[in-house]
Amino acid sequence: MDTKTLIKDAKARFSHNSAKAYLKEKYNSKLIIAEQGGLWRADAQTIALLSSLSSQFTETTVLIDTFDNPVQVDIVPLLESLTTLYNNVMTEWYSEWTELENKR
Amino acid sequence: MDRIRKQTVSRGVVVFAFNSSKYNYVEMAEYCARRADQFLDLPTTIITDEESAQTITYDFDNVVIVKSDKSNTREQQVWINKGRYQAYELSPYEETLVLDVDYIINSDKLLKTFDYSDSFCCHNRTEMLMYPEAPQEYLSSYSYNSLWATVIMFKKSDRAKQIFGTLEMVQNNYDHYANIHSFVGGIYRNDYALTLALKIVNGHADVPSDYIPWNLVHVGKNTSVYANEVDSQIPTDGDYWDFNTEFTVMFDHWKNSKMRKEYVTIKDMDFHIMNKDLFEGIMNG
Repeated sequence: MDTKTLIKDAKARFSHNSAKAYLKEKYNSKLIIAEQGGLWRADAQTIALLSSLSSQFTETTVLIDTFDNPVQVDIVPLLESLTTLYNNVMTEWYSEWTELENKR
Repeated sequence: MDRIRKQTVSRGVVVFAFNSSKYNYVEMAEYCARRADQFLDLPTTIITDEESAQTITYDFDNVVIVKSDKSNTREQQVWINKGRYQAYELSPYEETLVLDVDYIINSDKLLKTFDYSDSFCCHNRTEMLMYPEAPQEYLSSYSYNSLWATVIMFKKSDRAKQIFGTLEMVQNNYDHYANIHSFVGGIYRNDYALTLALKIVNGHADVPSDYIPWNLVHVGKNTSVYANEVDSQIPTDGDYWDFNTEFTVMFDHWKNSKMRKEYVTIKDMDFHIMNKDLFEGIMNG
């Protein structure tokens, strides 16, 4: 039996809350990257801090990575990596979210 | 002039599979190995016993035959899950992913684990699909939260050797540890043994880099999962496979004594199925 028939026969309802939770789980894990001896999450806070530091022409800084270790990093390369990762993952996330929203 | 030496490190997947009277674990291992090849581009070594090896049809990178330990039972059936500590000695790879055969690979995400630790990492948190409020599992009310042996990445190193050596010690003294940590010792569980082994090696402290920084996604109780398509071989007896990565997950949502079925479609996401009947349904369509 194919899944469409299964859903119809079971009178199952699409769960938007579960879809949201699944997408969050899936894409949050993709935002993690190992770089310059630390493990980083490409989130708004880290990107904003790096962006702010780079605009002050600072070349290196010390950040606390997701393992809670202080790591000395080169700001610009890390900012570039995190920004690229963030954009790619969020674009995918948005695209799949839009697809699921259309099921409403 | 500086010369750059390109270092090649051998990497691969190791699975343990011992057929029982009820389930064909070798077939599950083959399903897992095909996906490891497709999504991770990694070869797979199977560790099995003489009897189960007779049923192998897949061209594994290595077949390692061991004597199975049949001293564990679950639901009145022999459940051969002991001996996971042998992964360190038996893995032919410098960097290894040890996977449960019922872990469904749908992406290349696991490759990242090789970047996260110099020696060892496993999952310390789970997420139940469609049941986000499910609590984390504890060995007992007085003990640690459970780690998960479903996915283990290790690199040949003194520390990893020590962890697997301690795992063997815990397995051999499982009832003693069950007594100390107040959990039921009758059925041996790799998850609990791994939890204790890692805690002992770390001096009962937490080392964050031992944990994979995302949740292990489970399909748990009251939840069913179905493949939207069946993996197909191209041509029918050929070497190429078209892999399905879309699944429908259904959950029995109970509210005010009434049950309502809800579903969600997931794609390109790895997950672990606890229910072997569901797993066989996915494998065979």
